[in-house]
Amino acid sequence: MRWSPAEFHQPAGADVLCTLCPHGCRLADGAIGACRVRRRRGEGLETATFASATWHLDAIERKPFYHFLPGTRALTLAAPGCSFACDYCQNYRISQVGRLPELPWSAEPVEPEEVAAAAAAQGAAIALSYSEPVLAAEMTLALAAAARPRGVPIVWKTNGFVTLDALARIAPCLSAVNVDLKAPDEARHRALTGAPLAPVLAALAALVRAGVWVEVSTPLLPGVNDDPASLRLMAQMVARSGETIPWHLLRFTPEFRMRGEQPTSPQALGDAVAIAREAGLPYVYVERALGPEGRATRCPRCGEEVVARGIWCTLRTSLGAGLCPGCGESIPGRWRSSPWQSTASSSTFPT
Amino acid sequence: MAEYRFVEHLPDLIHPDDYAGDPAGRRVRIQVRVTEQGIEVLGDAMRPAAIERLLEALGAERIEQMLCG
Repeated sequence: MRWSPAEFHQPAGADVLCTLCPHGCRLADGAIGACRVRRRRGEGLETATFASATWHLDAIERKPFYHFLPGTRALTLAAPGCSFACDYCQNYRISQVGRLPELPWSAEPVEPEEVAAAAAAQGAAIALSYSEPVLAAEMTLALAAAARPRGVPIVWKTNGFVTLDALARIAPCLSAVNVDLKAPDEARHRALTGAPLAPVLAALAALVRAGVWVEVSTPLLPGVNDDPASLRLMAQMVARSGETIPWHLLRFTPEFRMRGEQPTSPQALGDAVAIAREAGLPYVYVERALGPEGRATRCPRCGEEVVARGIWCTLRTSLGAGLCPGCGESIPGRWRSSPWQSTASSSTFPT
Repeated sequence: MAEYRFVEHLPDLIHPDDYAGDPAGRRVRIQVRVTEQGIEVLGDAMRPAAIERLLEALGAERIEQMLCG
């Protein structure tokens, strides 16, 4: 673990206040924040997140992004750590480093120029995912500085737990963000994650206002958010943030502290899609359980399939400049300029 | 204790239809292969902990896993 100077802090009496996430840790000299990857040193802060435990080149659809440069790959980095401690986390071996003593630090320092050059050579975006990218804000800024001249977009898969001040600095560096919406109210969000919900919704709205492409993901968690009333509330939250925001509904996998529950059934995922559509969301997706139709983008006006996807890949788009070829309806997203078909064998990804 | 490594891709052995056929989520699939380096066991499960316990019990020194996201 290598500590390097951090930004996003200010004096607070004898303490230093971390201004990156809404936990707002006030730190005495030497103290470590709730995230376990930022600490005070002297009058400033240091971060351990200028590092990555992964260097994965995979499909942008895996993050998931369905309306952002379909068919693109993403060079995915992950600095260990998270501001949440979700009971269901499938990535706890990387997200909960520092909280669980048995988990090793597995990240290596990152050289932004090297990452940006590698992404550019592959025609890939740079993604920060798997753990919490907000905590890697300094690395994001440095990656953006190296990536911008090369035309490489930066994307995040995040819990959205970031202060609006910090987001104002970071958002211009981001081309797309997928935000997790995990619970329909404050009490359940706190119980699940250890953090309040309101800052997540505020960040979601701020990202939309800033012009960043936004998609939302929600895992259906037994006893937390998978009942119809909760799903309806969350669908309404997404719709209030933007009526055309794509919403990804994810199967719950029994893991970490929720190993006693059952995985989400295909029926439950189908029912959740119906609830989301009733709430007015036209772009609702399920990766696997509902087959190709669950992954397809259809024009909300004429019903034509405008993007066909396999598992973790786009097969083809018929959009020209984001317009439905059937009726001319504008489909929101950051699309390729003309219709596109994958040349990769779809047999790699069973449907 | 096995060392866990995060890898870009592992083949799926559990498929969407499995979830409808096993609502309790107990299904585990393994594929064993002899390679020049030794024995490779590929596993997939609806409950990741099930396959991890199995691999650790088999004495795996290194376990590769995919991450979510």
